[in-house]
Amino acid sequence: MSIAPSALPISMRRIEKRFGSVAVLRDLNLDVEAGEFLTLLGPSGSGKTTLLMILAGFVRANAGSIRVGDDEIITTPPHKRNIGMVFQNYALFPHMNVFHNIAFPLKQRGVAAAETAERVEKALDLVKLQGLGERRVDQLSGGQRQRVALARAIVFEPRIVLMDEPLSALDKGLREHMQIELRSLHRRLGMTTVYVTHDQREAITMSDRIAVMNGGRIEQLDKPETLYATPQTRFVAGFIGESNFIPVECHNGSVWYEGRRIHTAAPAPASGQHLMVVRPEKLRLLANAEPASGVNVLDATLSDIIYQGDSFVCYAVLRDGRQLTLRDYCRSDVLARMPAPGQPISLGLDAQDTILVASDG
Amino acid sequence: MAGDTITVASWGGTYQEAQTKAFFKPTADALGITIREDTTNGLDDVRLQVTGNAVKWDITELGADECARGSKEGLFEKLDYGIIDKSGINPKLVHDDWVGISYTSVVLIYRTDVFGDKGPKTWADFWNVEKFPGRRALSGSQATETLSVAALAEGIPIDKVYPVDIDGALKSVDKIRGHVDAWWTSGAQAMQLVKDGEVDMASIWNGRAGTLKKEGAPVSFSFDQGVLTADCMVIPKGAKNKDAAMKALAMFVSPQLQANLPLYVDNGPVNEKAFETGKIPQDRIKDINSSPENVKTQVLQDAEFWRDTLVEATEKFNNLIQQ
Amino acid sequence: MSAQSAFHESAGTNLNAQSLRADARRESLRLLALLAPSLFLVFAITIVPIGWLFWLSLFDEAGAFSAANYARFFEQASYIKTFVTTFKVAFIVTGACVLLGYPLAYMLSQLTRRAASICLIFVILPFWTSVLVRTYAWLVILQRKGLINSWLIDLGVISQPLSLANNLSGVVIGMTHILLPFLVLPLYASMKTIDTDCLRAGMNLGAGPAATFRQIFFPLSLPGLASGVVIVFVLCLGFFVTPALMGGGKVIMWAMRMEQTTSLYSNWGAGAALGVVLLVVTLALLGLFQWLLGARATGVWSSR
Repeated sequence: MSIAPSALPISMRRIEKRFGSVAVLRDLNLDVEAGEFLTLLGPSGSGKTTLLMILAGFVRANAGSIRVGDDEIITTPPHKRNIGMVFQNYALFPHMNVFHNIAFPLKQRGVAAAETAERVEKALDLVKLQGLGERRVDQLSGGQRQRVALARAIVFEPRIVLMDEPLSALDKGLREHMQIELRSLHRRLGMTTVYVTHDQREAITMSDRIAVMNGGRIEQLDKPETLYATPQTRFVAGFIGESNFIPVECHNGSVWYEGRRIHTAAPAPASGQHLMVVRPEKLRLLANAEPASGVNVLDATLSDIIYQGDSFVCYAVLRDGRQLTLRDYCRSDVLARMPAPGQPISLGLDAQDTILVASDG
Repeated sequence: MAGDTITVASWGGTYQEAQTKAFFKPTADALGITIREDTTNGLDDVRLQVTGNAVKWDITELGADECARGSKEGLFEKLDYGIIDKSGINPKLVHDDWVGISYTSVVLIYRTDVFGDKGPKTWADFWNVEKFPGRRALSGSQATETLSVAALAEGIPIDKVYPVDIDGALKSVDKIRGHVDAWWTSGAQAMQLVKDGEVDMASIWNGRAGTLKKEGAPVSFSFDQGVLTADCMVIPKGAKNKDAAMKALAMFVSPQLQANLPLYVDNGPVNEKAFETGKIPQDRIKDINSSPENVKTQVLQDAEFWRDTLVEATEKFNNLIQQ
Repeated sequence: MSAQSAFHESAGTNLNAQSLRADARRESLRLLALLAPSLFLVFAITIVPIGWLFWLSLFDEAGAFSAANYARFFEQASYIKTFVTTFKVAFIVTGACVLLGYPLAYMLSQLTRRAASICLIFVILPFWTSVLVRTYAWLVILQRKGLINSWLIDLGVISQPLSLANNLSGVVIGMTHILLPFLVLPLYASMKTIDTDCLRAGMNLGAGPAATFRQIFFPLSLPGLASGVVIVFVLCLGFFVTPALMGGGKVIMWAMRMEQTTSLYSNWGAGAALGVVLLVVTLALLGLFQWLLGARATGVWSSR
């Protein structure tokens, strides 16, 4: 099994889906490039699973178009879509052994017995389950079931693979291991993959691009690093990584907080109330109150310090009572001048680390 | 004596309601005792109570053949014919430990909407499928009754039916069984089969036949070649109020109380003196199966004959009708 | 090292082993005590009566120890006939229940929960009427001058009434109606537990609706079907009222024979022997059934 020769792009246009009077997806447009690993990320109820179900053909949209390559598939029944899918609970067939589970899609396609055996063997190799073909499904561990589900979804070399929170049932260590394996498998096979998760860390680890969904819409579609560095809405900033939110005011082309001008790398947005997004690891404890130019200084009181071995977390309170979180590595120079809880401190923030989003969302 | 309470068990339903009015209430009033009532399923119940030393009843009703069998098994108390006056009761129904109480007849019924008034009158007619085509039902649960009518169908005169030639009667059943559409197992079922026109002719108990006629069903029957079956009463061995029960039983079979029975139900009195009391209206007498006139045309089932042959005959009969 | 820890150390590798063993024993005793009421019930209302039944069956009319009650089955051909009839009826009725009940349960399982519970009421509704009443109702419908024959004759479909009651077909129709819920309910329950994702997976992997049903839904519904079949079959073997009323006395089943025998013979052993035979044959059949299903060494069957 080599690079999927038939990796195809997906183009979704103006997808609408209502359940009764509740709109679940509204005017949704999304393009997935051929061979791309794209993740739909969002909280429950954001519509990400519904979108995946529409893509697989299990849920009928009220309106819209889905093209895979040049084919319109919005009305194609699921068994003719030739899309592989890994289900959240794996959906392995309990009355079949591992071999027959994986052979199932080949059997439906009339593949000869000898070739079936060969391809199932290869797929088992690929997911590192050599020799387990005769096992019953209920004799497998969670991780093994996950691999069988994966093997079953790719054995027929589908144009597209969909994954619905496939790792959510695994424990943390196994989950992280499988993330890496899935990623490398994708690199080897190159099939177009749409992955659904509510775990932002998983999304960042695995994806070429992430579509952050909220309330039936895509809030932002970007590469993981772009999403993290420049979230465009408060929701995206809050959902990806940890964030401190500080309300700021913009007028005359500059940004102000508590009467002080905030240095920003990007030009200030339109006048009015905004939120400044501050990532905890971008804040620094300043040794003195006179920093280099271009560094913003926030005066605060230290309320608590939590050591985490390699790093520490400070909880500080700004003068307006707002809580801030700071995270840094335990370097000896920082530790040496660590203030005690209750002491006033100065926090530094570089101009290029300021992110401004609209305050309403 | 007065103030005692005895328990009497019978078959329940309208029959027992009639007995309450005809026998139990007058007896309780006359003796100053209380009569509690219960219902029985037959000899099994008595056997269970007696062998289990848990006798609930002081008097219970049974079929005559059950009385004969129970007597052989020693399940009943001896009756005191110093207290019970047996005159007027057929001697065949007067025994050391059981006594007759009422009569039921098995009669031939046919639908007049099928045959007009030219329906089968005798069991030989019933067996004649060419002359009387139509659907037929016989009792499958009461082998004794069906074997009796089978003997009559062979042309055996009513006074020669007993002792029944069982093998001969079975051969007779064998002739008709292919034409029997239903072998009924309860009186209600026999009635329903005739009433709904599921069969055109049947053997049936006279009480059920009378009810059908009263309801206006197009049916006809007579006591000609009927099979008279007696019910009897016994005092189960170990009954707690044996003395009071004996006096009550004497009342039940007395002509005065026996004469009450046909006023409420179609089961005839077992004491022929009942017809001399003047209590029964003249125009009613001809409809009563045990009236002196009707008794002459019927066969009386011989309980003691069946006591010794029932099991074997029934097994053979069951075997035959299942083929 | 303190005195306390020295004491613990001295116990060596078997630290507190004895008291832990005693504790385990006490716990098993407590669990046994909790089980005692149900064990007693099973013993008192199942083991003892069945044992007694068996014991009684070994005595003849004279109260002597004998195999007469069992020998009778071979001496009288009618017992064999009754036996064959009983199983024949049970097989036919079970088959009819499967043919009618499977599509019904499938339909129920595909409805919304609300619609399904309304339909289930109609499935269970007949339970609210006595078997006797239902059986008579079937007589009214099936007999010669009943509804079906009247309609068919009025419509000119037939000229002579069909024999639907007072024979085997009447018994089968009546029993199927009464036993259908016993098949539908466990089957429906097991169909509801089939993971819809498994069916979706089937379609996703290229199986059309019919293939998905055949290869996934049907095999997964088999455990429920099996329980339903066992319940219906066993209930059939003990049926009394319906064959007695609908069979016209020509379809004699085992329970009817028990009733006959119990009143015909003065010893309980005669009827008890029939009970023992039915029990043994039923258990043997259930064992065979289990063995056949067990032979299908797939997860579904063994994980039940």
